[in-house]
Amino acid sequence: MSQALAAALALLASAATSPPPGETVVRPGESLAQLAARTLGNESAGRELLAFNHLDGAPAAGTQVQVPGPERARAVAAIGSARSAIAQAPAGSARTEAEARLAEAESLLARARYAEAAAQADGAWKLLAEARDERSHFAVAVEPDGRTRVAVREGVPVRVEAQGRTRAVRAGETLTVARGEPPGTPQLESATGTSPPEPPILISPEPGLKLALEPAPGGLGPVRFAWKPVPDAVGYVLELVGPRKQTVRTTQPLVTVPGLPAGKYRWSVQAVLSDGSLGPSATRAVQLVPGRIKLEVKETPWQ
Amino acid sequence: MALCLPLLVCAPACRRDAQAPPAPAPKQSVRATLAEVKGSVSVKRATGDEWQAAVNGTTLFDDDKLRTERGGSAELRFPSGTVVVVSEDTLLGIAETRAAPGRPQADVTVLRGAVDATLDRPANQSLTVGTPAATVRAGREIVFQ
Repeated sequence: MSQALAAALALLASAATSPPPGETVVRPGESLAQLAARTLGNESAGRELLAFNHLDGAPAAGTQVQVPGPERARAVAAIGSARSAIAQAPAGSARTEAEARLAEAESLLARARYAEAAAQADGAWKLLAEARDERSHFAVAVEPDGRTRVAVREGVPVRVEAQGRTRAVRAGETLTVARGEPPGTPQLESATGTSPPEPPILISPEPGLKLALEPAPGGLGPVRFAWKPVPDAVGYVLELVGPRKQTVRTTQPLVTVPGLPAGKYRWSVQAVLSDGSLGPSATRAVQLVPGRIKLEVKETPWQ
Repeated sequence: MALCLPLLVCAPACRRDAQAPPAPAPKQSVRATLAEVKGSVSVKRATGDEWQAAVNGTTLFDDDKLRTERGGSAELRFPSGTVVVVSEDTLLGIAETRAAPGRPQADVTVLRGAVDATLDRPANQSLTVGTPAATVRAGREIVFQ
């Protein structure tokens, strides 16, 4: 028999004896903990594997057992998200309730009740996210060498997954992931090397200014926003919050908006750093009114 | 005259094509809409081979690509309200349906450059950003929404 034919027959024999996806066969001498580590990636999950297969005791070598699929992955991901949110939540009734839900979710996971476990964990996460009532703001940059850098500016943690491992990155932290490697340990931004950048120094409009402007496309205008350049900045993000919410990305330390609806605005500027993350922001208030005269008014708490 | 008529009928449509890349065949749901387009920003449709200039209001669908050149930037606005600011010199894919094996489908896949994302209501929004090295998930797990 030729070598090629022998190889083909061996391949066929192997295919015939391999368990189908979602199943595995207990190996000789394999303990329950080893089986759980091999199939679920967690040697402590033996009880869960037994529950999933409706078994009372450790299966003997040669036994074919079922392995949970995406429904377990969803439950595990939801529990991981809830854990990271609880770790960052301040003490209080919301955290206490979330901890109770997480404990219930973990108990359900151990009994292989994945859909219920996921729902409980998601409930815990949502409870804390709603209690915080703040936006999530983060930056992702891909370096020329393929590394990924994640910087979380504010809000609930984001999850970074690579090579089957997940890390939570909290507000004020950065995480770098190299290609083909699992995520490392998040670092506080001030611990990543250089000192943290200063917020931009805003120039105009001046603090608390009431700007009288003529009608223009989009409302009143034009409105010119200017600030001093920030050393090492590769760009800036101007954010307007008011009757119209607008975010402008620019490489210059000024932006001219052709027209804005009349009303009170908060405007803030952040420098874009070379790694794609954003520096601290500086914020001011300005009011736009129809007319031709520029009026000074008293300063506001936004300064 | 008979030859001229089709040209006259075609003229308005041709002008539209010059302003924004043609959208793919209908029935696909819009993944994101472009806004705050500054400088050189272009789109390559999943079904096309050519990069075409993008404008405010350009809609993006599964497997479309977006590219910003130096000095260019744009915002991706998702139906959920999530906003992703695309920096200059960035190349990204939209909801790639042929993600790498074992990798979940991402809303945005950054191949080069940087993005800055904001979720105003993370308890009810989610965003998944893929890169060559990692997958970043923010907000609520999508399966629970």
